[in-house]
Amino acid sequence: MNNNAPHTVKSYEIELVNLNNNIVKMGTLCEEALRRSIKALITNNAEEADKVIKNDEEIDKYENLIEQQVVNLIALRQPLAIDLRETVTALKISSDLERIGDLSKNIAKRSLLLSNKLNNNLIDIFTALSEKVQKQLKSVIDSYLERSSSIAIDVWENDEKVDEMTNQCMQASIDFLKEDKNNLQNGTHLLFVSKNLERMGDHTTNIAEQVYFLVRGEYLEGDRPKNSEIKNT
Amino acid sequence: MKKIKAKNVNVAYGSKQALFDINIDIEEKQVTALIGPSGCGKSTFLRCLNRMNDVIDICKVTGEIYINDFNILDKNCDVVRLREKIGMVFQKPNPFPKTIYENIAYGPTIHGMTQSKVEMDEVVETSLKKAALWNEVKDRLHEIGTGLSGGQQQRLCIARAISVRPEVILMDEPCSALDPIATAQIEELIDELKNEHTIIIVTHSMAQAARVSQNTGFFHLGNLIEYGLTDKIFKNPENQKTQDYITGRFG
Repeated sequence: MNNNAPHTVKSYEIELVNLNNNIVKMGTLCEEALRRSIKALITNNAEEADKVIKNDEEIDKYENLIEQQVVNLIALRQPLAIDLRETVTALKISSDLERIGDLSKNIAKRSLLLSNKLNNNLIDIFTALSEKVQKQLKSVIDSYLERSSSIAIDVWENDEKVDEMTNQCMQASIDFLKEDKNNLQNGTHLLFVSKNLERMGDHTTNIAEQVYFLVRGEYLEGDRPKNSEIKNT
Repeated sequence: MKKIKAKNVNVAYGSKQALFDINIDIEEKQVTALIGPSGCGKSTFLRCLNRMNDVIDICKVTGEIYINDFNILDKNCDVVRLREKIGMVFQKPNPFPKTIYENIAYGPTIHGMTQSKVEMDEVVETSLKKAALWNEVKDRLHEIGTGLSGGQQQRLCIARAISVRPEVILMDEPCSALDPIATAQIEELIDELKNEHTIIIVTHSMAQAARVSQNTGFFHLGNLIEYGLTDKIFKNPENQKTQDYITGRFG
């Protein structure tokens, strides 16, 4: 939460604190969903996959709750300055988190459709990408919690690395597909998993931009660093 | 373009200093809102702009306030002429206990601005139209002004103020005694009037300052803490005190 003095109206203060806490809780649920979905994928663990699919309902509930809180704050408190930025960014961050939850659920569903366990090369490369995305997500939640624009900038700049690793995963999936026509099902799912992880990186970067605006009151200028080069094979 | 330039304005009521070195430039044909807690000096500053503080014996004003590059605090300033150029609207509607017509005609009469009844009729009609009151009162111009509703009375006071074609209109909490509909009508009027007049409004309503003004100044304990574009002040103020005040965190 910000370091400003508390509001004269205590109930307003409590509402803003609750909003902040709900974003953090939702972010933590998303981190868990991502971690579990990758575990399900790598280890062929159907139990983990089911948990992710079931827990996504909880993430969606938080999005609805946050939306209601934001609408109430705007209608009843008419927030200004830092409070306005808190309110507006909460709405946008919750929307990005909800997408991250959905993408994790999608990975979990795909993990249930894999016909056999992945080879070590694919496990290593997908583990590396997912760990990078998990780190980005954790950092951006930290940046929100600590109101740190410098952590937010780090996340924003590091998205290029996520893109680069996504390209490696896609390339590995394509190579895997080309090895044997029996790899068609697993290889196709892996291509989508790569893209899902890349999209999660983008949503994380969106959140970083919101945190920057929240803290600094101005928009992060310039194009986001991107690495979208996919080799022609 | 700057209509008003205040330089190092200090005001004291006896030994109690109310304003400290106020420096502010007011843009022409824009709305400038002055906000701040009670007793911060915003109304005192507003009253400096048409020398209203002159009527308070113990009040001493120093510094310079240039309107059209003329220092109105100069002892040679003709205060009657000044108040012809600087109209004022107060918190509580205060029409004269006279007819609607006479309320409007009073200013142009004492300033000798019209030569005939026809001319005066035209001034009355134009002023009431500009104040968005004409349609409601055109059939009862010779009824007493105090018989109108609160919102209508305030628009009558605005019509009275603009009848002498002032360059600047000062408004001291003009909507604080009005209901939301009457407030919206005054705010719409302010938006129209800024095409021809420079408007300075003191308000306790943050939302009103945000809605009607292009520039906002925040006063606290006699100091001008922050002055700038209204959207900047309400989205991302520079000063912590401004932020604390507009977000309801004040001490």
